[in-house]
Amino acid sequence: MTAGKSRPRLSITIMVEDFFISYIGNTMLNKIGKIKQSAINDIQTIRSLSDLDNYRIKYLARKGLVADLFDELRNVSAEERPHIGKIANELRNQVQSLFDEKKQNLESNVKHEQKRLDLTLPGRLSWVGTQHPLTQTLDEIKRIFFRMGFGIATGPEIEDDYHNFEALNFPPDHPARDMQDTFFISDKVLLRTHTSPVQIRIMENQPPPVRVIIPGRVYRNEAVSARSYCLFHQVEGLYIDEGVTFSELKGTLVAFAKEFYGSDIKYRFRPSYFPFTEPSAEMDITCFLCKGKGCRMCKQTGWLEILGCGMVDPNVYKFVGYDPEKYSGYAFGMGIERITLLRYSIDDIRILFENDVRFLKQF
Amino acid sequence: MRISLNWLKQYIDLTISPSELAHHLTMVGLEVENIEDLGGKYNNFFVGKVLKVEKHPKADKLVICEVGIGKQQYQIVCGAPNVTPGQKVAVGLIGATVPRNQHDSDGKPFTLSQVKLRGVDSYGMICSEYELELGEDKEGIMVLPPDSVGGIPLAEYLHIDDIIFEVGITPNRPDAMSHLGIAREVGALLNREVMIPKIELKENNEPISNFATVDVLDSVNCPRYTARVIMDVEIGQSPEWMQNRLKAVGIRPVNNVVDITNYVLMECGHPLHAFDYDKISDHKIIVKCATKKESFTTLDHKVRILQSDTLMICDAKLPIAIAGVMGGESTEISDATTKIIIESAYFNPRSIRRTSKYYGVNTDASQRFERGTDPNITAWAVDRAAQLINEICGGETLQGRVDVYPERISEKEINLRIKTTNDLLGLSLSATTISELLSKFGVQLIDDGSKDSAKELLRFKVPTFRPDIEREIDLIEEIARAYGYDNIKLKMSSSVHFLYDHHSFEYIDELRQQIIGRGMMEVVTNSMQDVSVASLTTDKIVKIANPISKDMEALRPSLIPSMLDIIHHNIDHGIANLRLFEIGKVYFNDHITNEFQVIKGYSEEDRVVLAFSGNAYPSAWDQKPRSLDVFDIKGEILTLFEKISLDNIKFIPYSNTDALTEYGLTIEINGEYAGLIGVIRSTILSKFNIEQDVFISELIVSVLERNRSKKKQFKSLPKFPIVARDIAIVVDDGLEIEKIESEIISAAGKILNKFQLFDVYIGDQISPGKKSCAYGLELRAEDHTMTQDEIDKVMQKIIDRIQYNLNGTIRK
Repeated sequence: MTAGKSRPRLSITIMVEDFFISYIGNTMLNKIGKIKQSAINDIQTIRSLSDLDNYRIKYLARKGLVADLFDELRNVSAEERPHIGKIANELRNQVQSLFDEKKQNLESNVKHEQKRLDLTLPGRLSWVGTQHPLTQTLDEIKRIFFRMGFGIATGPEIEDDYHNFEALNFPPDHPARDMQDTFFISDKVLLRTHTSPVQIRIMENQPPPVRVIIPGRVYRNEAVSARSYCLFHQVEGLYIDEGVTFSELKGTLVAFAKEFYGSDIKYRFRPSYFPFTEPSAEMDITCFLCKGKGCRMCKQTGWLEILGCGMVDPNVYKFVGYDPEKYSGYAFGMGIERITLLRYSIDDIRILFENDVRFLKQF
Repeated sequence: MRISLNWLKQYIDLTISPSELAHHLTMVGLEVENIEDLGGKYNNFFVGKVLKVEKHPKADKLVICEVGIGKQQYQIVCGAPNVTPGQKVAVGLIGATVPRNQHDSDGKPFTLSQVKLRGVDSYGMICSEYELELGEDKEGIMVLPPDSVGGIPLAEYLHIDDIIFEVGITPNRPDAMSHLGIAREVGALLNREVMIPKIELKENNEPISNFATVDVLDSVNCPRYTARVIMDVEIGQSPEWMQNRLKAVGIRPVNNVVDITNYVLMECGHPLHAFDYDKISDHKIIVKCATKKESFTTLDHKVRILQSDTLMICDAKLPIAIAGVMGGESTEISDATTKIIIESAYFNPRSIRRTSKYYGVNTDASQRFERGTDPNITAWAVDRAAQLINEICGGETLQGRVDVYPERISEKEINLRIKTTNDLLGLSLSATTISELLSKFGVQLIDDGSKDSAKELLRFKVPTFRPDIEREIDLIEEIARAYGYDNIKLKMSSSVHFLYDHHSFEYIDELRQQIIGRGMMEVVTNSMQDVSVASLTTDKIVKIANPISKDMEALRPSLIPSMLDIIHHNIDHGIANLRLFEIGKVYFNDHITNEFQVIKGYSEEDRVVLAFSGNAYPSAWDQKPRSLDVFDIKGEILTLFEKISLDNIKFIPYSNTDALTEYGLTIEINGEYAGLIGVIRSTILSKFNIEQDVFISELIVSVLERNRSKKKQFKSLPKFPIVARDIAIVVDDGLEIEKIESEIISAAGKILNKFQLFDVYIGDQISPGKKSCAYGLELRAEDHTMTQDEIDKVMQKIIDRIQYNLNGTIRK
C-alpha cells in the first residue's frame, strides 16, 4: 500500500456482524449492496440475448462493475479485506448465476421459437369413464344412510311366494297382491316385486336390533311405457329395536330428504296402505320444479311422492319370531328410477335402460 | 275411483273449495290423484235468448244480434244463416275459450275478446255444435229447445257442471269406495253430519214368501243373502239426472233398473244385482258352489266353463249368476221384463277374489266384495233400490224381504293399550283423546278401563263397514290418521349399529370406480331377454311363466348379449368407439347347491362385463387411429387387476365353435376360473346387426373379491442397483411367447426383477419360419451389487435354456 493512495483513518466505526468496520470498508459494503440490487433489478428487464450481453458488459466484463469492485478492494485495510472480499465474491457468484440462468431461459425460448410449436393444437385425450345415473343416485342414498348408522344387506331376485308376500302379511287371495303385478317362474317361485322380502331374510337370520338399507332390482309385470318399466331398483330401509316410534321414522326420513333434496324442502306424510306396515304412510315433498305451485311433473298437485313407509306390522314379527311386545320398528322403501328421473328432469324411464352414450356422457 | 262433487254434496254440506277438499282427503289416506272440472271448458258460456236481429250496415253476410243472458243484454255480431229472434242459443262471452275454431283447419281452440266486426262492436259469440265440441255441424249456430232455461251456465244446462275427484283407494279401504263412504270420512275430518237418504218404501200386502224363496247351501261363502221382489215395473231409460250422475263417475247407463242398482252401488258401496223374476225357474234362488264343469254365459255374452269351487247363484235348474262377480245372460233385465228380484248379498271376500282371478273378471261388484263389504247394509241397500225403482220404474214392492242371515256378523270388539299406542307413535295421548279420535271414524269406546287395575286398557267396538280394523295395531293406525301424521313430531335417535358385513357391496362399489377410472362407461340393462338369446350360452335358463312378451321370457345367464344390444344401439347412432361395462346379476336354473342358491333350484351371481369396440385410443392430430385387438383388452384387464390387487393371474388361450366368442383367453386367478376375454363370433355379431369387431371380458365378481391380496404389507425399498440387459431370442414362429417367458423366469430365478417383451420381429433379417423376440431384463440381487461375472453367468444360463429347451438362438 502506498502512502499517496492511503485514505484517512476511520473516525466513525459501525458495528457489522461481530466486528467494527472502517469508513472505507463501510463505503465498500454500501457499494456492494447497490450493485447487488441493481444487478437483480436489471436482470428482470432483460428480454433478449443482446440485452443480456449488455448486462454482462455492465457487470461481469473485465471493466465491469464487479471487476471495479475488486480493484477497489485494494484500498481496504488488510484486516478488513478478507471479510469484505468474501462478500464481494458472493456478489460475483450471484451476478454470474443470475446471468447464467437468464441465458439458459433465453436460449430455450429461442429453441421453442425455432421449432415454431403451435400451442393451440389440441391435447391428446384419453377415454373418459362415466357412472350410470342410477348407480350415482343409489350411491348418494347409501352415503346418507351410512352416515346415519345403517348397514347394508341384499337378497335374491328370484324369490319364493313366502318371503315376497306371505311373511310380509299379504294373505293368499288378498287384493293387496294386485298392487304388485308379479312375474312368476313357477307356482311358488317368482321375481321379487319389492326389496321387502330381504327384511324377512334378515330377521330370520338375526336377532334385533336391526338397522339396514337394502338396495336391489325388483320386477313388475306391467306394460313398458314412458312412466313404467318392467323392472326397477329400490332401496328398502329397516330399523327394529326397543322403543322405535313413528316419530322417529318421520325424523329419520325427513333428515334423509333434507340431505338428499335440500334443506329448504317442505314435506308431508299421508296415510297409506302396505300390508307389512301399520300405520303406513307415503312421504311427499314439494315439487322442486314448480316449488309447489303445480306443474306437469307433479300432476298439478305441487307435491311429489318420494317414498312409502310405516311401522312394521306385528304380523310380520310373528313370521320371523320377533317379540312384538318387546320390539318395534319401521320400514321404508323408495324407487331409485323415480328419484333419478325427478332429479335430472328426465321424462322417459326407458332412456335409462337404452344406454345411449350421448345420454351417459351427461352424468 | 271417480267421486262426483255434486253427488257428494247430496250427503254433506261442503263450504270448502275442491282443492281444499282434495287436500283433506289426501291427508287422511284417500289420495286424490286428479281433479277434473267436467264443465271447465264451458267457463263463460251461457244459455242466451236472441232478442233482436238486425242487418249489418256494412256486410251482407253478417247480422247484429241482441242476446239476453239473464238480465244482461249483449250485442253480438253473427255470421250464421239460421239465427232468428226468439231462439235459445249457446253464447260464449268475452274470456271464454271456444273449444274448436271452425275457420281453422286443425280446429284449434281460441279465446274470445271484444272485437269490432266491420266497424260494429261484438261482445261474444253464438256458437255452433262443432265449435262447442257437441257435434260436427258447422252450418249454423246450435239452436237449443225453446223450453231451455235461459241465463244459466252452459255446463249446468248440459248437466256437466261437476268436479270429479280421482281417488286412489288402497285395498284396505272398501268402506271408502262410495260417495257415502267418502262423505263419512269428510264428515269425520270436518266435524260435519252425514245425511243418509231416508227410505220410505211403500209395500203392497202380498208377502214375498209366496213369490220367491232363497236357499243358501254354502253359508261360509255367502253369510247373508237379502232380496226383494218388485212387480209390474216398466223398463226404459233412467232419468237424465241419474244418467248424468253415472256418466260422471264413469258408468255407462243401460236401463232404469240396472242404472238404479249401479246408482245404489256408487251411493253406499254395496253391489246389487237385478234378475228377471219370470226367467228364474220355480222362482227359487239357490246359493251353492258349482258342482260340475258346465258352461255358463255371463252378461258380457262370454261363455265360461265353471270350475268346482266357484260360488254360484242358481235357480231350481241352472246357474244364473257368478256370485259377486257377474250376472248371467239368461236372467238379464230386458225391455220385456216386468218383475224383478233384487239381490243384496254379502259374500266371503276370499271366495270372490279367487273367482275373479280365476275367470279374469274384475267388476265394480267383485272389487268391493273381495275387499270386504258391510254385511249389515244389505237390507238398507235393497230397500233403497226398491224405493228408487218404485219412484222411477213404477211397480209394486212385495211385502217384506227374504233375508237369509243365519249368523249375524257383529261389530268387532278390540282392546287397546294406551301405553303401547303412545310408545309406537311417539305421542302421549290420554284415554279421552284416544276415544275422541277414534269416534270420528265411528269406532266407539265400550269400556273405559276404569275396572282395569293399570287403567290403561280401553275396549272399542268397530263398525262392520271397516273390515280392515281387526287388531290393536289397526286401531293405532286409525288414531294416527285422526290425529294427523303431520302433527306427529320428528325425532331421531343417535344409536348406531354396525351389524352387517357389507364388504361385498363395498367391493362392487370399488370395482365400479376403478373401471370408470379406466375410461369406461357404465350401463344398466334389462335382465329379461329372449329365450333364443339366453340359450346362446347355457341351457340352464330361468324362464318366466307369464312374460310381458316373448322377447322378455328368460332371465339372462350372461351379461354379454344385452351388452351387444347396447353396442348395436350406439353404433346405429353414430358412436363407433365404445368402452362400456355393466355390473349385474346373471341367473341359472340349476339344481346344484352352491353359495349363490337361496331359492332351491335357482342361483344368482354378480358379474362384470367389459366391452370394447372401435379404436384403441382416441384419435389425435398426430396419431393414426388403430383398431383394437385382443392384446389391448388383455392389457386393460391386467392393468385393472393390478389396480384391484389381484395377482397370480393366468391367461389360457381357447378357441371354440359354439360359444358367443370365437377365440380368446380364459382367466384363472390363483387357479380359480374368474372369467374370460374374447372376440365376439361374426355370426353372433350379425345376429345383433353389428358390423365391427367387439371384444368382451366377462368376470365373476365373487372370484375377484375372494382372490384379492387382502393385507398390504410394506417391503423395504431395494438398496442395490438394477442392471439392465437386452436379449433377442430367435425361435420358431409358432412357439408361444409364454414358453420363452417361463424359461427366462426359471433360469434367472430370484434376481429377475422385471422383464418386458419390447419387440417381435419376423422378416428378412432372420431365417424364414423364425421370429425374433427382444426382451429387456432388469436384474438385481437383494443383498449386494451384482458383479459383471455374476450377470454374465445368469445371461448364459438363460441362453443355454433357450437353446436346449426351445431350440432357439440368440440374435447378436
